[in-house]
Amino acid sequence: MRPRVEKVVIFAVLVLLTGSFFAGREVPRAAAETGAESAPRFPAIYWTEGVETADRIRRAGVEPIAVPAENAAGWRGAGIKVVSVAKAELESRRKTLVPRIAGRGNVASATRRPWIDANGWMYIRRPSGRYFAELPAGRAALAAAEACVYQVDLLMKIEPGDLEAVGGVFSYFRSLPSGGALTPVADLAVIEDGSDEVGEVMNLLTRRNLLFEPLARPSAKYRINIRLGSKAYPAAEAADPSEFALKIRRQLGDEKRSLRIYGSETVFARYSAGGGVFRLQLLNYSNSQIDGLRVRLLGAGVAGARAWAHGFGEFAPETPVQADGAAEFSIPRMKMHTMIEGRLASLDRRFGHGRTLHRDR
Amino acid sequence: MERRTFVRLMAAAPLAPGALMERGRVIPRYRVVSGYKAAAAPGMPGPYPGTVINVRSAASLSEDGLKINAGVVREMMARGMRELTGEKADLDAWRRFITPDDVVGIKVNCGGHPWVVSSHDIVAETVRNLMAVGVRPNRIYVYERFENQMREVNYAPHLPEGVNIYAAERENRHVDHLNYDPTTYVEADFFGEDDTRSNMVRLISQTLTKIINIPNIKDHGATGVTGCLKNIAYGGFSNVARTHYKGVSHTYSFVGTLAAVEPMRSRTVLQIMDGLRGVWHGGPFARTLKYVFFPRQIWFGTDPVAMDRVLIDVVEAERKRHGAISIWNRDPQTLDFNNGGNRDQDPNTNIIIREPGHIEFAAKLGLGVHEIDKIKVREIVL
Repeated sequence: MRPRVEKVVIFAVLVLLTGSFFAGREVPRAAAETGAESAPRFPAIYWTEGVETADRIRRAGVEPIAVPAENAAGWRGAGIKVVSVAKAELESRRKTLVPRIAGRGNVASATRRPWIDANGWMYIRRPSGRYFAELPAGRAALAAAEACVYQVDLLMKIEPGDLEAVGGVFSYFRSLPSGGALTPVADLAVIEDGSDEVGEVMNLLTRRNLLFEPLARPSAKYRINIRLGSKAYPAAEAADPSEFALKIRRQLGDEKRSLRIYGSETVFARYSAGGGVFRLQLLNYSNSQIDGLRVRLLGAGVAGARAWAHGFGEFAPETPVQADGAAEFSIPRMKMHTMIEGRLASLDRRFGHGRTLHRDR
Repeated sequence: MERRTFVRLMAAAPLAPGALMERGRVIPRYRVVSGYKAAAAPGMPGPYPGTVINVRSAASLSEDGLKINAGVVREMMARGMRELTGEKADLDAWRRFITPDDVVGIKVNCGGHPWVVSSHDIVAETVRNLMAVGVRPNRIYVYERFENQMREVNYAPHLPEGVNIYAAERENRHVDHLNYDPTTYVEADFFGEDDTRSNMVRLISQTLTKIINIPNIKDHGATGVTGCLKNIAYGGFSNVARTHYKGVSHTYSFVGTLAAVEPMRSRTVLQIMDGLRGVWHGGPFARTLKYVFFPRQIWFGTDPVAMDRVLIDVVEAERKRHGAISIWNRDPQTLDFNNGGNRDQDPNTNIIIREPGHIEFAAKLGLGVHEIDKIKVREIVL
């Protein structure tokens, strides 16, 4: 009986909290099931330190925290907002990778493409999933940012020394404007069969910034529908997911991709649109600051775009160019995360499911 | 590597859309984006197509080749410039290319530190002549792509105060793009890399009015040789290392394509080949003296193709003298692309199938004269 009660409590608290973390976004629940950025979820720290650390928690601005069920009462007594998490609940959560550059597969590679552990593909695949991360020292901030970008329910067990860094990430994301209900932009569909192979394809597509939507069946909305095992996409081809992703990219054509990034192969993007606006979020998986990253967004307008970068605040996108149906601009500097918002300039149905997106005012 | 393995490897790489085949090589589709128009008379090939002035002096280096005689270098430069232009006075020769109002870039080469770089003395003598013409020091930029390499070579103590030392990036890490022009670039998909653009150094497109190119006599693992064309092209654009991958190089077509982009082509008005020392294997690096040789020459011209065509013969002859395989060797048996150390140890090992044909390709783009029987090399021995 007791675990059931806890689950109910957890659910209630989560619902309560999701409304506050990304305040101002009210959209139908159904949209969330398709991955729309409309049912905000939040990452939270899973904190196993003692209640004597309450002042640090308060100062770090990471409330509410998730705590082991047996500690919950003590934390509440200390005035900290907590979510009680039973061991079974924790173990039932899907484990995530530690986001990072895991190495370079071929140091002789001219492409400079490193091997990156990232969870975006999994978050796109299962936006309603419940996740758990065990994060070594120095890795929690990026994991938090990744979960904020994809708005997933992630509990993060962090090294105590990373508390303030995570608090900084939460504070930064809270400070960003909430632009309303937006839908992820996709250029192609991947037909979901739940297999590891399809998951790996999704992973590589995400790492190449090839924007996809997981679907149960092919959609006429997309010129490319990848059903692994079909004649067009034999399962054997997925044995080399990198080459498979390259094949998809070339089928799509670079000039027809909604998003291009120049200047890094460690930055992954989340491009969303709707209601006449776009939002682009960029996550840098390397530890290096990137100066002068160039972005090309099909369908976007460059006039009036605003941008924010973690650690640098608000800035204006530099050297804007509007040409060939796309907006281009540079990000003067970014570390872990950057967000750009602006108006759409296209009626393409990729950007908001066929709604009229561009209105002169 | 077995030929069969190599062929399979080549065949496995899917052709990028729009790519063509030429002489067994893939020529990618290039999209050149530049808002700059060509000058009425572009700097390359310039007023002296097919002409190379070669000034030699045994006294330019100490007997062991390790020290440069600055006085001799000065005389070599004066003779070379006069011979190229037909002028009687040194400064009149320089005035053929530079006016006091110009903002002048001197493209140096620092990759062969410590033994084969654009030498302090040649760079300093170039700056001295520019200032004598009337160019103010703050309108002179000695530039290279990577700051860490510039620091190693350290030109500043050899130059007058006020001359700018400029590098586009801190080092070759592909994170530092602010000094590249986002609106002047060449786009191409070579191997499926995500970043398909190479952007021109902002200094070149937005500040300089003239460029003097000072490369070295060097072997190169990808291009066969690296001289005028590669120094100006790969030293003037971002994200160029992506053209080599698993033993294959797209330098054949990319070097010339970059060099021909405006305004680089129009503004590069003078080529001075620092051939005091050279490297015949392991280039573009020269970390040890193992493959360094001592031509004791400085070349002058405006045609980068003609100079590089002559360069091929010099490097090839030196390799032959040491019993090393030709830079034209395309035998997969010589290829070991996973181990640069083996290349450094063995001059009969390639890390990439070399593409000295990039020089002929550049000629087809109008950058100069490639046919050796049409190139006039005038030699002066001091």
